[in-house]
Amino acid sequence: MIAGPSGRLALGALRYAAMAAIAALLLLPIWWILVSAIRPGGEIFRYASDVGWRTLVPERLTLEHFRTMLAGDMPRAVLNSAIVSLSTVVVGTMVNAAAGFAFAVFDFPLKRTLFAFVLLTFMMPFESIVIPLYTLIRTLDWTNTYAALIVPDLANGLVVFLFRQFFLGIPREIYEAARVDGASWWTIFLRLTMPLSGPTIATAALMQFIHQWDAFFWPLVAASTPELVVVQVAIARNITLEQANWGGLFASASTAILLAMIPFLLLQRYFIRTVTASADK
Amino acid sequence: MAPFRVSPWIPALFLAPALAGLLVFRLGPILIALVGGFTGTTLRGETTFVGMRNYADLAADPSFWSSVKVTLLFNLLVNPFQICCAMGLALLVLRPTRGVALFRAAYLLPMTVSIALTSVIWTILLEPSVGPVNGVLRALGLPPQPFFRSEDQSLATLILVCTWKGAGYWMIFLLAGLLAIPRELHEAAAIDGAGAWQRFVRITLPLMRRPLAFVLVADTAINFLLFAPVYVITHGGPAGSTALLMFEAYQAAFALLNHGRSLAISTVILAIIAVIAVLELRLFRAAHERAG
Repeated sequence: MIAGPSGRLALGALRYAAMAAIAALLLLPIWWILVSAIRPGGEIFRYASDVGWRTLVPERLTLEHFRTMLAGDMPRAVLNSAIVSLSTVVVGTMVNAAAGFAFAVFDFPLKRTLFAFVLLTFMMPFESIVIPLYTLIRTLDWTNTYAALIVPDLANGLVVFLFRQFFLGIPREIYEAARVDGASWWTIFLRLTMPLSGPTIATAALMQFIHQWDAFFWPLVAASTPELVVVQVAIARNITLEQANWGGLFASASTAILLAMIPFLLLQRYFIRTVTASADK
Repeated sequence: MAPFRVSPWIPALFLAPALAGLLVFRLGPILIALVGGFTGTTLRGETTFVGMRNYADLAADPSFWSSVKVTLLFNLLVNPFQICCAMGLALLVLRPTRGVALFRAAYLLPMTVSIALTSVIWTILLEPSVGPVNGVLRALGLPPQPFFRSEDQSLATLILVCTWKGAGYWMIFLLAGLLAIPRELHEAAAIDGAGAWQRFVRITLPLMRRPLAFVLVADTAINFLLFAPVYVITHGGPAGSTALLMFEAYQAAFALLNHGRSLAISTVILAIIAVIAVLELRLFRAAHERAG
């Protein structure tokens, strides 16, 4: 052990130096992509070979690459990703919350078997079934439709489980009182249980949103026509097709980075707190 | 809460949409893979039963075995490496001194970049002739590297790129585990004269078994199914050095148009994932018995 205040101070300084170096290693690649998107086309790769302060700080700024991007498939892709992700979140939350409600509130035949089936489905990651799912979607004649992108991702075992866990904690007396007042179970679910579940709804919505927004393999396989292209597929395609148009590629990559990063930066405090707090229980 | 006894059609209505979705779009594809692996397509486009032929073809195909080997090698390297990096990061940001919250958030940022976007970004950064990584190497007086263009470096480069994205994410789960270890244990051991390394091996590691096992299983499930970087960056090359199984299944279906073969590979992948799922279920159960 290093004893004494000076030794401890040196160790602390070393720790901060290590933390800063790792942060640079992880973040400078993103930074370089972002600044490349706003510098003139001729300078993007010039300072990548001739490394200096100009590599990370652009001298002249331009929005020309973003104008190029807006003329390409990116606006359509962002719109498609938004349509697909938001409809998955809205419908998916309702569908999975209703199932979680049934598992938490009612007693019914086959309950344990059905719940075990739900648990089992969330241990088979979506990516593991992409190829046979494509066979299924082709049989249904759903290829290149929004339905192919949205419907298979609606029911989600993990989200059902999350809701069930939360609903189990709501006291029975609340339901009994509502039943005495003559409320139907559907009314109780919509007007009583759901309004009490804000944080769980937020967590579930975020999980389903990220899964859809980041999805690449499934949209590539199931719906990749220009009308249905989503952000991830559009960008991956640009790198093979647009070698001549590096500026547009940097602008679209930067747009995609920022669209994902800004919500995270706003919510990261809650995310870190949720994960680290679960350990304290 | 004691559940309500109601007429069975009420829970049935609540369950129907989700269960129908899971049955059709989760269980359905699994059955399709199991059955479809025994089928082939004739020249006229008819589907026929071919028995074990797809599996026999796979077993006799050196490119399939090479893909299995690459997938296993990749997982044997990437999972321990990512977890060691994640553990290192978690230990580094464990003590909540001034500014540490900022570093924790910074390490999480690469996680927000999707795997497809990660692949695009690193294709550009690691471009051998004009990319900035080789620019930095040259500026340091080191020889530029071929990275994804070299048979010897492509898999290692893929591992580093995946770790760039994943290390901070897994760090958060390990950090949660480390924060749950009572401080008194470390203090008592320190008074008894145990050094930092001894305390790490004797106290931290044994108490971290469960979070480490969780991260190992979850990380393995993700990496076994890795597809986007192979598709975007390497297309399995050079010389098959990054041809992971998921990409093989994709190639069989969409390049070779051999659906029987692609479904047979999917079945192999599902079998591996099922083994991982069983391990996961055990952990999950153990954690719940402990909590409840």
